[in-house]
Amino acid sequence: MSKLILTVDDSATIRMLLKTALSAQGFRIESANDGAHGLERMREVKPDLLITDINMPKMDGFELIEALRGEAEFKATPILVLSTEFSDEKKARAREAGATGWITKPFDADKLGAAIRRVCP
Amino acid sequence: MSDEFDEIQGIFFEECSEGLAVAEEGLSAMASGDVSPDVIAGVFRAVHSIKGGSGAFGHNALLGFSHRFENVLDGVRAGRIEPTDDICQVLLNAFDILSDHVAAAQSGSEPPADDDMLHRLDMILEGPSAGAAPAPAAPAPAPEPASDEFGFVPVAAQVEDFDPFGFEPVAVAIDDLVPAPEPAGWMVRFAPSRGAMANGSEPLLVVRELESMGARITGVDREKLPSLAELDPEESYLVWDLALPASVEEQDIRDCFDFVAPDSKVDIEKEEAVVVPSADVLPFDLPTLGAAEPVALETIAAPAEASPTVVALDLPKGSEAAKPAAKAKAQGGGESGQTIRVDLSKLDQLLNLVGELVIRGSILSDRLSPADQERVELPELSRLTRQIQDNVMSLRAQPIRQAFSRVPRMLRDLMAETGKKVILETTGETTEVDKGVIEKIGDPLTHMIRNAVDHGIESAEERLAAGKPEEGTIYLSAEQKGARIIVRIRDDGRGINRARVLAKAVERGIVPAEASLSDEEIDALICAPGFSTAETISNISGRGVGMDVVRSNVEALGGRLEITSVPGEGTTFTMALPLTLAILDGMIVRLAEQRFVLPLTNVIETVQPEPGQVQATSPSTEVIELRGKYLPVRRVGEMFGMGSSRPPEESLVIIVENESSGHVGLMVDTIDNRREVVIKSLEDNLHPIRGLGGATILGDGAIALILDIDALVSANGVGGKYAVKGMAA
Repeated sequence: MSKLILTVDDSATIRMLLKTALSAQGFRIESANDGAHGLERMREVKPDLLITDINMPKMDGFELIEALRGEAEFKATPILVLSTEFSDEKKARAREAGATGWITKPFDADKLGAAIRRVCP
Repeated sequence: MSDEFDEIQGIFFEECSEGLAVAEEGLSAMASGDVSPDVIAGVFRAVHSIKGGSGAFGHNALLGFSHRFENVLDGVRAGRIEPTDDICQVLLNAFDILSDHVAAAQSGSEPPADDDMLHRLDMILEGPSAGAAPAPAAPAPAPEPASDEFGFVPVAAQVEDFDPFGFEPVAVAIDDLVPAPEPAGWMVRFAPSRGAMANGSEPLLVVRELESMGARITGVDREKLPSLAELDPEESYLVWDLALPASVEEQDIRDCFDFVAPDSKVDIEKEEAVVVPSADVLPFDLPTLGAAEPVALETIAAPAEASPTVVALDLPKGSEAAKPAAKAKAQGGGESGQTIRVDLSKLDQLLNLVGELVIRGSILSDRLSPADQERVELPELSRLTRQIQDNVMSLRAQPIRQAFSRVPRMLRDLMAETGKKVILETTGETTEVDKGVIEKIGDPLTHMIRNAVDHGIESAEERLAAGKPEEGTIYLSAEQKGARIIVRIRDDGRGINRARVLAKAVERGIVPAEASLSDEEIDALICAPGFSTAETISNISGRGVGMDVVRSNVEALGGRLEITSVPGEGTTFTMALPLTLAILDGMIVRLAEQRFVLPLTNVIETVQPEPGQVQATSPSTEVIELRGKYLPVRRVGEMFGMGSSRPPEESLVIIVENESSGHVGLMVDTIDNRREVVIKSLEDNLHPIRGLGGATILGDGAIALILDIDALVSANGVGGKYAVKGMAA
């Protein structure tokens, strides 16, 4: 069974890009459009990997990651942050919240695929 | 892929326009003093999203500009930059350029000149308030190419780069060895930190990946490995030494450590001659590498193996689906349902089909006796059809806020231009209207606001002299009334100068000099073609568009524009817009044997006049006495020049209610029945004719015209009067 990935981003453009790029590489994709929705969808679909944006309404990426790491079920799920931000401060905060890795937007589909396989072989 | 790409790009531009509307609204709010964190965060997110998508499609100019814009917004958000009036004004101007950038990216045309604005944004970033602590985004890891032909593209430089967590600190300065001879291989020492397995990381995966690149494990240091009793399966204790062939690129090796915890230790060294050891050199077999790793692996794998549930797409009720942008804005308001983007043309097609369904339903109810209708459960079918229709219509509905959102901004510019002070009060922004209507009322709305500021609101001195507050007020409101959306733009300015308007109309030959017009008729003249009271075309309002264009735009939408004015107190423009362009409840009436549809919305009652109940008060006006009151009566047939109608006692008078005229009686020959009809627009086929709102197909296949009650009862009527002469045009 191919890996199931949940993508969380408030931009439909990014969600579509991720879905297109990653489906082509054999991943199954589910998506959510903000942090709160992402949390809900995580519990529903229990994906192998989460890719989340940081700047989102309702619940931002940091809060989402923190909430997930607080749930036993998602303690070890790899979480990649996909954001246009790249400040060390933000990355440190994501790491602290429990993110596995950080990828800067815009993303290269092949490299993203490689990164996913790196944390979720 | 390319089709998909185009499609996604289409979504991107759609999101851009939504984002721009949000940003504009937020910036305007900021400019008028609302600098709450929610507002600022909303603007930031909107610009941030535009930036995020632009990079993906290679719109570098847009990317560069939105990036710099975002940096400043981020500074405001973080409190490093104080949103003073001046800074808000710069942000608003930057917004304009951002809009131009989006438009340029969409049309593929030359990006706007933004050097000056970029400079101003930089000034803000470097400003005194930011002096102590430079914005974190400024020292971007990307080398800043001063400016290539596309301008500044800081993020693009990152495109090819993975940005690992804290990779840099553990990197070994390999360049020190540059003069060394071609290495024979790589030596890698990997010492994961104790907590390296937190955050879903798995150091063993790095080892596995290196192995897949040809790495051999040359040693494992298990000195730190505790006894089983003390072992914490969630911690790392081992250190690996690996050897890789020289053919492997250094960067590929580094990439493997992308997601390794920052306090882990990674050494990568070139080796002159690497001895790639055979397996028997290994201290022990990897699979039995001590309890730690396999246990940890288990804890990772377990949840992942849980069978993933595919959740059925939960399409939320009606309107929710159609307005992701609005929803995103509704902070915490309502639960987040899942949304799905649908091509608008598909919705239109659906709407059309529902329309056909309604017509078929009408035909059935025409042809079947009431008993047969019950037998085939036609009423139930009609009820369902009506529900489908409501739902489909709500799919296209969006809050009118989208159209209102650009008003504050425009007012601000107008104030700067005219020196007048104006306060905006808005109500009913959440009123939902068909998307097509929203898209088309932007221009008329804009123009009416301009008109109100230019001509309605007086200068501060004039206002004070008239005993009014120094600041003028424009009230912008929207509400749903029956099947119409009423949008009002009311100002508390000087009102229409009727003497001047009439003089000008006579001068321009719009009305004959000897005409005697009512106040309402004079007010309506400002919408007559070729009429413009603006002696000088101001920089802002003058785009050569008069109120006549506004009016015809509104009418082309199936709407109606009314003007009421009280000298010294102000003017109100009222747009009555159709809620949808689809279906209405109507009464089939006959005029000279022809069938017409009279919308039921405004109908109060029908009266069969007794002889003498309808009386002439002048050669051209009649009234009906109804329960002691006299109401004006209009003979609809005559208004359309369909010959003289029957005497009143052989006719029916339908009492309708109208916004401006109150209750009025419309005289028709007979009433056939009541019917839901699908509105077919006339605009493509017939010139908009005042008094007619559209056409429909009746149950028997015949075509009937739909009467526009408001036009019928308004002072101008449908024909004959001077003021009307050019207005239908």
